Amino acid sequence: MNKQSELKKMNYLTLRNIKLYFKDKMTFLVSLITPLILLVLFIAFLNSTYEDSILSIIQDFDLDQSLIDAFTGGWLFSSVLATSCITVAFCSGMMVIDKINRVDIDFMVSPVKKSTLQLSYVLANLFSTFIITFVLLIIGLIYLACVGFYITFVDFLLIVFGIIITSLFGTILANIIWTFTHSQGVVSGVCTLVSALYGFICGAYMPINTMGQGMQYFVSLLPGTYATVLFRQGFLNSVLNRMRETLPQEMINGIASGFDVKMSFFGHDVSTLALILVISISTIVLLGVFLLINGLKKRTRTH
Amino acid sequence: MAHVIEIKNLKKYFGNTKAVDDISFSVEEGGLFAFLGLNGAGKSTTINILVGVLKRDSGDCFVNGFSLDEIDKILPSIGIVFQTSVLDKKLSVYDNLRYRAMLYGMDKKEFEDNLKYFIEKLDIGQVLKKPLDKLSGGQKRKVDIVRALLHKPSILILDEPTTGLDPKTRKLVWNMINQLRKTTNLTVLLTTHYMEEASIADNVVIIDGGKIVAEGSPLSLKNRYANDYIKAYSYDNSIFEILDKAKMPYKKDKNYLEILFKSTDEAKNFLVKHNNLFKDIEIVKGSMDDVFLSITGKELKENI
Repeated sequence: MNKQSELKKMNYLTLRNIKLYFKDKMTFLVSLITPLILLVLFIAFLNSTYEDSILSIIQDFDLDQSLIDAFTGGWLFSSVLATSCITVAFCSGMMVIDKINRVDIDFMVSPVKKSTLQLSYVLANLFSTFIITFVLLIIGLIYLACVGFYITFVDFLLIVFGIIITSLFGTILANIIWTFTHSQGVVSGVCTLVSALYGFICGAYMPINTMGQGMQYFVSLLPGTYATVLFRQGFLNSVLNRMRETLPQEMINGIASGFDVKMSFFGHDVSTLALILVISISTIVLLGVFLLINGLKKRTRTH
Repeated sequence: MAHVIEIKNLKKYFGNTKAVDDISFSVEEGGLFAFLGLNGAGKSTTINILVGVLKRDSGDCFVNGFSLDEIDKILPSIGIVFQTSVLDKKLSVYDNLRYRAMLYGMDKKEFEDNLKYFIEKLDIGQVLKKPLDKLSGGQKRKVDIVRALLHKPSILILDEPTTGLDPKTRKLVWNMINQLRKTTNLTVLLTTHYMEEASIADNVVIIDGGKIVAEGSPLSLKNRYANDYIKAYSYDNSIFEILDKAKMPYKKDKNYLEILFKSTDEAKNFLVKHNNLFKDIEIVKGSMDDVFLSITGKELKENI
């Protein structure tokens, strides 16, 4: 009965957080427009670069242009989605806004468990991130439908799983940081830092094998990299399969490795299942850390 | 009567500042208890400790017999109105109240029934759909009070509740609180700058620099710490000779003469003795302002 009641409270708090987030239309629009701008910049400036890279690999082989467009488009969209799941999660939380507005005091004097309140922030944050990332996915799929669409149902499921798990990972990570944050300045600083840095260290903005050896080892230790590769596989597996009809296997392997559709961990190939396990286990560990921190942290304000 | 709130040797320091310095008091069930002091005296800190918002350094607090360590058992029985609104400014009044009510395990019907009572009593029907930040100060305060009372708590804590309210709304709020006190035996713990609010309390604690400097009913405090006055509107001028000879303190105004006495008895005896010199008089008891000034040496009005 008690658990049911806390669950009900969590539902209402989550609804309240979501409603508040979407009340501020500017925040929502900025959250949506930022990845869209990134996407437009990618298509405008990097599309031809990656197209040239593929052409330099396949050399004299005659490959259908729609396959090349689908590959570059898929690669760019996987990059945008891999980063957006994290950056949107960081920039759409309500926890610190409540602290700044001193609304958290009202929840402190209400009979609601701190863990219930904190989880409601995570759930609302996750929902807001889903809304924006799924809108991005729809835009991406429409774009690919125009230039060359090869995504199968299984690929689609992999992409959806990637969005869910990466958004969850980003949301929990953000809320761990927000637990210790009380000012808008810190939020803005962290958001800017994450937006600027994350795309590089998760291998989204540039292929991992173009990085230095040390950096390659470093990014292979970060769970975000595995999420990025998962998105690459979702968007590009079927395109590569179709390319296989024209290109030799060695060339396909070269493209897959060169564009992070395949990943290796200190020389060992990482399977799709391993990618899923790494990002899933990392998310579960983060959730444990989040619950532990909130369980240990006192209910009272320090200032 | 049973004590619903008991505070024993409570201490809270912020660095070198002794915000609350070893205070003890208790609040009786169904009573109206006023906490009087200047800004920074320690009133809000005490209240914030009592509801679990701030951590105490030492001492004990009990609410309905539960220690602060069992705050989960305390919170359902408390409603609190903070100095400034802690509701969601972007949400409508209805949504604000609904989401808060659900935290007390209310279902929709119970919430609607309770809300109906306050819509009638505080006339908030027209603002229910408006966002909180579109309301006037008085309307916002009413909503804060409804939020505090919606779950029918047995203890209502009011931290400067009527500051900024117009006299009409202030009266409306107090009428409702008084009615609830009569019908539900609601205990009210109040911090205030307003003397008229402190004067109607059953018990008053005066706090200064984090310490309790006086405690008692308004009448007993006035008797102990405030002087009485005879205000004479029509009198024989020979009275001045008597006052000067006896070195009695007095103040002559254009319309009246005010003579200061240490007690009501002293004033009464003086009147009996010099009955023939006065035609139109009144004996005025000292105010809570006088009590506060006498105890702390500070003017409470300056701080309002």
